[in-house]
Amino acid sequence: MSILSRLQSLRSVQSNMLLASVALILMTIMIMSVVSYYLTKDAVQSKAQEYTTELVKQVNYNIKAYVNSMKYMSEVVEGNPFVQDYLSKGTFASLQEEKSYKETVSNLLGSMLVSRTDITSVNVFGYDGKFVSGRKELELNPFIELTSLNWYRNAQDAGGQSVISSSHVQPIFKNRYPWVVSLSRELYSRDGSKQLGIFLADLNFSVMNEMFADIRLGHRGYLFIIDSSGKIVYHPQQQLIYSKLKYEMIDRVLEVKNGTFTSDEGIDSRMYTVQDSDFGWKIVGVSYVNELVSNQNEVRLSYFMLGLICIIIAIIISYFMSKRMSQPIKQLQSYMKEVEKGNFDIHVPVPRMTEIGMLARTFNIMVGKIKELMNQVVTDQEQKRKSELSALQAQINPHFLYNTLDSIVWMAESNKSKEVVLMTSALAKLFRASISKGEELVSIRTEIEHITNYLKIQKMRYKNKLDYQIEISESVWDYMTIKVILQPIVENAIYHGIKMKQGPGLIRISAEETETAISLIVEDNGKGMDKGKLRTLLLPNPVTEEGRGVGVRNVHERLKLYFSPQYGLTYKSTPEIGTSVYIQFPKFPHSLEAKK
Amino acid sequence: MKLGKYKWIVGVVAVLLIAIISSSYWKEALTKKKTTDIIIILKSNDTTIEFWQVLIDGIHEAAKEFNTHVQVRGAKDEADVDGQIALVKNAIEERPDAIILAATDFDRLIPISTDVVARGIKLITVDSGINSDIAQSVVSTDNFKAGREAGQAMLQQITGPAKIGIISYVKNASSHIEREKGVREVLNSQPNIELLDTYFVDGSEQKAYLKVKEILEIHPDVMGIIGLNEPTAVGAGRAIQEMGIGEQVKLIGFDSSVNEIKLVDEGIMKATVIQRPFQMGYLSVKTAVEAVSGKKVQKQIDTGSLVITKQNMYEEENQKLMFPFIGK
Repeated sequence: MSILSRLQSLRSVQSNMLLASVALILMTIMIMSVVSYYLTKDAVQSKAQEYTTELVKQVNYNIKAYVNSMKYMSEVVEGNPFVQDYLSKGTFASLQEEKSYKETVSNLLGSMLVSRTDITSVNVFGYDGKFVSGRKELELNPFIELTSLNWYRNAQDAGGQSVISSSHVQPIFKNRYPWVVSLSRELYSRDGSKQLGIFLADLNFSVMNEMFADIRLGHRGYLFIIDSSGKIVYHPQQQLIYSKLKYEMIDRVLEVKNGTFTSDEGIDSRMYTVQDSDFGWKIVGVSYVNELVSNQNEVRLSYFMLGLICIIIAIIISYFMSKRMSQPIKQLQSYMKEVEKGNFDIHVPVPRMTEIGMLARTFNIMVGKIKELMNQVVTDQEQKRKSELSALQAQINPHFLYNTLDSIVWMAESNKSKEVVLMTSALAKLFRASISKGEELVSIRTEIEHITNYLKIQKMRYKNKLDYQIEISESVWDYMTIKVILQPIVENAIYHGIKMKQGPGLIRISAEETETAISLIVEDNGKGMDKGKLRTLLLPNPVTEEGRGVGVRNVHERLKLYFSPQYGLTYKSTPEIGTSVYIQFPKFPHSLEAKK
Repeated sequence: MKLGKYKWIVGVVAVLLIAIISSSYWKEALTKKKTTDIIIILKSNDTTIEFWQVLIDGIHEAAKEFNTHVQVRGAKDEADVDGQIALVKNAIEERPDAIILAATDFDRLIPISTDVVARGIKLITVDSGINSDIAQSVVSTDNFKAGREAGQAMLQQITGPAKIGIISYVKNASSHIEREKGVREVLNSQPNIELLDTYFVDGSEQKAYLKVKEILEIHPDVMGIIGLNEPTAVGAGRAIQEMGIGEQVKLIGFDSSVNEIKLVDEGIMKATVIQRPFQMGYLSVKTAVEAVSGKKVQKQIDTGSLVITKQNMYEEENQKLMFPFIGK
């Protein structure tokens, strides 16, 4: 297919419609996909954010529950009269009394630890060196200075408020180094005038650790906690942060009270969801932005695929639709091409579609009209020809008649009555043959008879100047020919050939026969013609001189008209030697004529 | 013309179909990103040694982060060189993407390691390497530097002339060889310090205890003991404590454990040089993943070391190193 025809095919109605609908569908689907992709992305993102916020809040509640229970313990301990008494008494009446006090306080603390595996210890430290623990088996680590520890100093600084430490190792007990979160509080005497000591409750950090370690936000997201000074309480990758292999945006977290922000780290951007607990910690959920739409690529791909499938379906549908639309137009077009070629015998089937149907119907009417008109033109033409021909045929006779009558008159004047009789009878026969019941076709026999009579008359007129021979074999006599075809040729040969030359002339009429056709040949040895004259001889409507050639052309035309254009006259002529005329027409037996 | 138009349509549909099919393959490739398979062979599968536990924690943390499938194995104990060679052999048969090895023996692991590399498996050594540079990367403490730190800690503890003994866990472990070199480099340069021969205790704390006791009895004038790893240091600490000469004999150890912490708390162990096993585990997996994905990796990765004394032991950052969080 060449580029040109491809272009043309692109210009067709069908391709135009196809292209237009494909473009439309493509655009719609693309816009829809992009919009719904972004909507999904937004939805997923805000959902993830919601989820993280909810989760972080939940964690906050859980931690708060622990902290509150420890706070409650501290309040119970502070308000307890035995604790007050034990701590505020400088001296005891007896060692026994001191022991029983200690026992009571220890039991009180111990009762708080019943079924609380999450609390590693509840302790009271008096400023005068007293120490009571809820777990009686615990002994103080003699190598540790209490006052050097943060929870101890912070409680002193807080002046009666409870203080939550960060996660840390609690080294105060012998042989134990547990990770804990400490709640410490300075204990005051009931009247508030005297500081008695420090209360300490340790929450086993592994409880929290377990609680957080399983929390995953997406595949890589996690949760971490910092205290109010930015120290890490819990972080799943604490080691990596201390060794600077990972970086956490603690400064920004500290600035935010509650809420969300996103770090700007390219594909590793993280979304921080910060929740401020009321005891100073900040719980932070971290999720990776590119994970939020966790299967972002999958979503994008499925939209892409859906779009592609829709486009394919759309193309197929619009192809068939446009084909359905353009098919009748194409059909109509092919019918029109037929008409263009000249075939008016067609009837376009009328399609059901209204517009095209109307077009087809109108087309049918138009073709019908044209056909009618054409037929009319043909019959008109024929009519015209026929009337022209009969007019031409009629032209022969008066001409010749006038000459012959002239001769008869001349002979009668010279008392040549015998000749007059001869000539008149020949003339009578001639006319009889030429009239011949008014039929167009006659047998060659009749035609020979006709030309014989004619030549007889002319011989009488020209005497020795003219000689003739008719040598037509009898085998062709019964074939049919149109009448009066030899006479105009012979007449021509006499007037323009023999009459013009010096001395006597000979006219010879013979016949040739092939399988399908017959040629009658008229030869003369007259003046002949040059090539220029020959060429113009058979042309229609040449400039005629003295009506010359009218009869000959008439014969030529009639042969063509009656039989077919391949028949007619052929001239051969040499100046000063003579002319031969071949009259060709098909073999036409008599019986056929009868049938016709 | 008609056929041509069909061709056009068929062409478009075919192109789209191809696009769909290929994109679905692409999607498959996208979602089914192959996870890297790594086999880690440690010196010992003894889970009571905190050092290895923390290192394994680091491995798992990295595995989670880099979406890697890891299997951790270990020899019976650190002296079980044949056992470890067999483990490496088995691991090769499983055709992982990478093998991370903590070599029990400096020399004897070389042939099997060469096999690993020859099979196209990436080899990373962690903590203790081999005496060959065929490994893609060596992730460890710069033990020579750690040894120097231990030596310097010892120098700070002693005044005047002194005899110092070095207790090494096993022969031919690269980490110990390097540490010893570091210690010797610092202490040899001191004119008034006499370094005794290095004592080997065949991977046993009990032997270390007995050996130190023996040394202290034979050489009552020994003023310093350096234990090149946790068991040797604890064994030495036990001996010193029992003999009640904690004030006189200064002990410097390596690594950390509850026992070591107690020794530091009690003032028997003056300092311990701790490594960062978590980093070792984490970075060895990270490096292996990078090596498998064809990135260029550093030949030597130093995870660093830290001298811990009673004074800085409870500082926030050191706590996490000294008191590793086990059993999460």
